[in-house]
Amino acid sequence: MRGVFSKVPLYWGLAILLFMLMFPFVNDTRSTLILLTQIFIFAIFAMSFDILLGYTGIVSFGHCMFFGIGAYSTAIIFNKLDATMPNFLIGLLIGIFLSALVSYLIGLLSLRLKSHFYAMLTLAVSQLFLVLAEKWRGLTHGGDGFTFSVPDIFKDRTSFYYITLISMAIVFILLKLITELSTGRVLKAISQNEDRAEALGYKTLHYKLIASVTAGVAASFSGALYAISLRFINTNVFSIEVTLDALLMTMIGGLGTLAGAIAGAGIIEFLRHYLSELAMTYPIFERWTIILGILYIVVLLGFPSGLAGVIKRLTLRNGRKGRKNREAGRAA
Amino acid sequence: MEVFINLLVNGVSTGLLIFLLAAGLTLIFGLMSVLNFAHGGLFVWGAFSGAWIFKETNSFFLAIAGAAAVGIVLGWVLERFLIRPVYGNHVRQLLITLGGMLVLSESIKILWGPNPIRVNLPGWLEGSYQFDGIIIIKYRLFVIAVGLLLYLALWLLLSRTQIGLMIRAGVLDKEMVQALGINVKGLFTFVFLLGAGLAAVGGALLAPYSGVVFAEMGMQYAILAFIVVIIGGMGSLQGSALASLIVGVAGAFMAYYMPDLSLALNMLLLAIVLLVKPTGLLGEKGGAI
Repeated sequence: MRGVFSKVPLYWGLAILLFMLMFPFVNDTRSTLILLTQIFIFAIFAMSFDILLGYTGIVSFGHCMFFGIGAYSTAIIFNKLDATMPNFLIGLLIGIFLSALVSYLIGLLSLRLKSHFYAMLTLAVSQLFLVLAEKWRGLTHGGDGFTFSVPDIFKDRTSFYYITLISMAIVFILLKLITELSTGRVLKAISQNEDRAEALGYKTLHYKLIASVTAGVAASFSGALYAISLRFINTNVFSIEVTLDALLMTMIGGLGTLAGAIAGAGIIEFLRHYLSELAMTYPIFERWTIILGILYIVVLLGFPSGLAGVIKRLTLRNGRKGRKNREAGRAA
Repeated sequence: MEVFINLLVNGVSTGLLIFLLAAGLTLIFGLMSVLNFAHGGLFVWGAFSGAWIFKETNSFFLAIAGAAAVGIVLGWVLERFLIRPVYGNHVRQLLITLGGMLVLSESIKILWGPNPIRVNLPGWLEGSYQFDGIIIIKYRLFVIAVGLLLYLALWLLLSRTQIGLMIRAGVLDKEMVQALGINVKGLFTFVFLLGAGLAAVGGALLAPYSGVVFAEMGMQYAILAFIVVIIGGMGSLQGSALASLIVGVAGAFMAYYMPDLSLALNMLLLAIVLLVKPTGLLGEKGGAI
């Protein structure tokens, strides 16, 4: 399922990055910058999910818990201590440590079993975190949530835009490196045929754990950025909709491509922005979750390889046509 | 003593409701290795349609029958349009049933609004019995009776009838049954509809029990059912029954003594089972009944 995005030459990526770096000079309306910042944050989240589902073939239905752990760790530190950069690093590290620990333990319990177990266990544990966040009011203020202040550099929309953009680029490069290294090749092998990978002598549990922890850590990072972008947090970060976001973004963009996850994040966030604007005139769109749910099913049934698959099919067809034309020209 | 018996009755009745949900899950899994994440959606549809029919007609039997019918129709739609197209691909099956779950529970919010709905008890089941100062709520006994009856019916169906024999054989060795000329896909549809109907009846029974129904309920109970199915052993009906009672009773006692930790207790049970015996309590392959 190696998609077309991974073959997009490096300079294309660089061109897009350069364009995004210049973008605030072209258009610095507040709402556009906020939308793009959200896209970058969710792109990190979607990429982390892609490591699990796309590269390793592990189905997780509780990915929101790592997002939520990262978000709450940062938010609670900022709430209890001062809004300074060292505290940001402390919160980030706590979130990453907790996510790594939780993903490791869940993986250890269930990754040696069939994929259903991991799906069920992650769903159940993420609900456990939701209940925990609702009950531990002293720390989380329950479902009402709380606001907190952040360092000045995060307050400025333009600088935060750059921070998230560069974070996304760095996470992309790091994850790309992991997947291109030998580890990534083993993960790919596991997703295609786990028994054969095992028979070749790879400890598949070991590699699946690496994928699980990597995904957890990256998701925790995106959660921390998300909390900072809102300067507010409540238990919604642990809701199943967050997991569904990750699923949709990776499915729509194309599994196992990383860049597809970024494209998927862009599409979904744009769609959500647009639909919530529509909801002001047509109240039916207030329940846009169902629209995303239907879209998700349609993509799963009709376009299992996502946008990347569609582009691949189109470029292949064009390539064939071009070759035919050339051959026809030569014959004439 | 009074507290103990009350908690036991509560636990057993909740356990039997969870069992109605878990029975379908475990049979569907046993027969086709399909783990249906949309099962909770059928449960919550049963709860809402049952409550709605009861409010409109004031007949509790009609409410339960109507809920079962709704569950079966929705189950057919799910099986036909979501699960059959991705048959044989486990990852896509898991993914698509989660989508089905989401659409089912969101459409509840569109039809009945996002707020919880109050549900009343039928008149003849209100009140309680008193034995030597021990007060037992009538409706809970009713749930236990219905739950046991359904369990018995399911057991008779599986152990005494032709189709039950085919289902058990299918759980043991699907390919062999197919080779003997039995339509396994038709069998699977039957089991799926049966499970969907049971889940919807469970929801309809739960609605007056908890007094309110809300769309997120489906997910909450589905998670309990998943825990039950893993603890009992996937594909084992008896295992699910046993695990349902354990989870129900343990949950009732925890909810009384340490209310914040009741879900944590289930997770602990789950972790122990996964560590010690990942196949579940009674989950040797082939333990369909």
